[in-house]
Amino acid sequence: MNKVVTIHLRGAAFQLEEAGYDALRAYLDGATRRLGGNPDRDEIIADIEQAIADKCRAVLGAYKNVVVAAEINQIIDEMGPVQDAAAEGEERPAGGADSAPGAGAAAADAAPPPRTRRLYKLHDGAMFAGVCNGLAVYFGIDPTIVRLLFVLLTFFWGFAILVYLILMIILPSPETTAEKAAAYGIPATAQEFIRRAREGYYEGMRTWRDRRAHREWRRRFKREMRGWGRRLRDEVRAEAYHAAAAAVPASWAPGPSPSGMPPAAPPFGLLFILPLVAILRGALAVVCFFSVISLLATRTVFGVAPPANMPLWVALVLLLVFFTIISWPLKALRHACYWHAGRAPYFVSPIFWFVDAVVGLGCAVLAIWLIDRYVPHAHEALQALPSILHHAVDTVKQWWGTR
Amino acid sequence: MGVNEKFNPIRKGLLEFLLLKIIAADKVYVADILRQLRDTEFATQEGTLYPLLSKMRREKLLDYEWKESDAGPPRKYYQLTAKGREQLRETTEYWQKISGTVKDLGRPSAD
Repeated sequence: MNKVVTIHLRGAAFQLEEAGYDALRAYLDGATRRLGGNPDRDEIIADIEQAIADKCRAVLGAYKNVVVAAEINQIIDEMGPVQDAAAEGEERPAGGADSAPGAGAAAADAAPPPRTRRLYKLHDGAMFAGVCNGLAVYFGIDPTIVRLLFVLLTFFWGFAILVYLILMIILPSPETTAEKAAAYGIPATAQEFIRRAREGYYEGMRTWRDRRAHREWRRRFKREMRGWGRRLRDEVRAEAYHAAAAAVPASWAPGPSPSGMPPAAPPFGLLFILPLVAILRGALAVVCFFSVISLLATRTVFGVAPPANMPLWVALVLLLVFFTIISWPLKALRHACYWHAGRAPYFVSPIFWFVDAVVGLGCAVLAIWLIDRYVPHAHEALQALPSILHHAVDTVKQWWGTR
Repeated sequence: MGVNEKFNPIRKGLLEFLLLKIIAADKVYVADILRQLRDTEFATQEGTLYPLLSKMRREKLLDYEWKESDAGPPRKYYQLTAKGREQLRETTEYWQKISGTVKDLGRPSAD
């Protein structure tokens, strides 16, 4: 038992099996794209639809009113790939017989077409905005690995979220089937789409629309993530203990030496070191933030331009990695301080969190004000910020709308 | 690569010439053309034929008219224009020259 989809071709209705519908849709989309620059495109597509309708009619009878997927595939095979006779020589259809002049044509036919990929957000089968999906496709690895990497990076360094949000804003979404194909580095020929449809490539999209399967899947994902989170927290805690024991020399560490028992009350010196660390971290975060904005707005990091042939997103990632590395000692120091407070790094008295947060925030505001005041580039970047935010909101809205 | 593939470009290039010939003989619609070509070396498919016919029509080599059919919706029947007939004549001449050359080359000369 299979679902059927009712379509109409040149004014006649047909019922197709769903898989057949997908294949036909892909074939016609591919044909439309191939004929992109052809002035008679609509007419040719109409002719082709007419021919398909005739073929569908031929397989139907008084007691058979559904065209099954196998028949559609047969029909598509009979139709053959749509090749634009006018545009020949400019765009070579993959795999098809070709009429490009010259002896080289035969040799070129044998070689597979070059694959060039572009980085896009891919919404098909995406969990959030499709950034991980796009990256995975771009690098040709499993999207789950990229997602796990992002999750891990978020746990260890919060910057992964920032990277994600920025990529979400700057990466374009593929609008046409051709762009979508460019993301995969595969020519958008009709055969390719049909092959994928046959392989169940689009199955995921269908279950996505199925509410219950979707919910069940999300429940499972959350449960797995919770497990991950617990394990990671434990690991981070253990890591911080080690870091504290190793990184903090007894000489400048306030309070008793690390080898001693944790003191009953927080040492007084902590109240000075913690705010200092918070100020430094806050300042660093602000500088990082403005470097990113500056990179996005002026393509330079405070006047220093990345190499000309480096894509924007690579520069961005490098910048973030750079700042992450710089801020690492501060983080370790903070963890060490908490350790000295005699508690596990993530369960210190709320007063420290409060001081940390207030000072950090204060630093951020002060630094933003100072930079805005004295750095013209940053001022311009700040002026551009509303439109960037606006774009981000639009992206989120669109993503929400597509669900 | 077999002979078959080596001649792909040539076959494809000749398709337009053959279409001129087929359409010159009689008013035909696409299924007729496919049927006439089916058992030859030039068997082709709708996906290739429709774009080619539309290109030829744009070059004013042929034209079509809608005709009611007994079974199903009206069909496009193609016919040659004067320019199309002229092109067919030229192409035929050229083809005869080519096939003459192919036949004669490499033979021991008469004298």
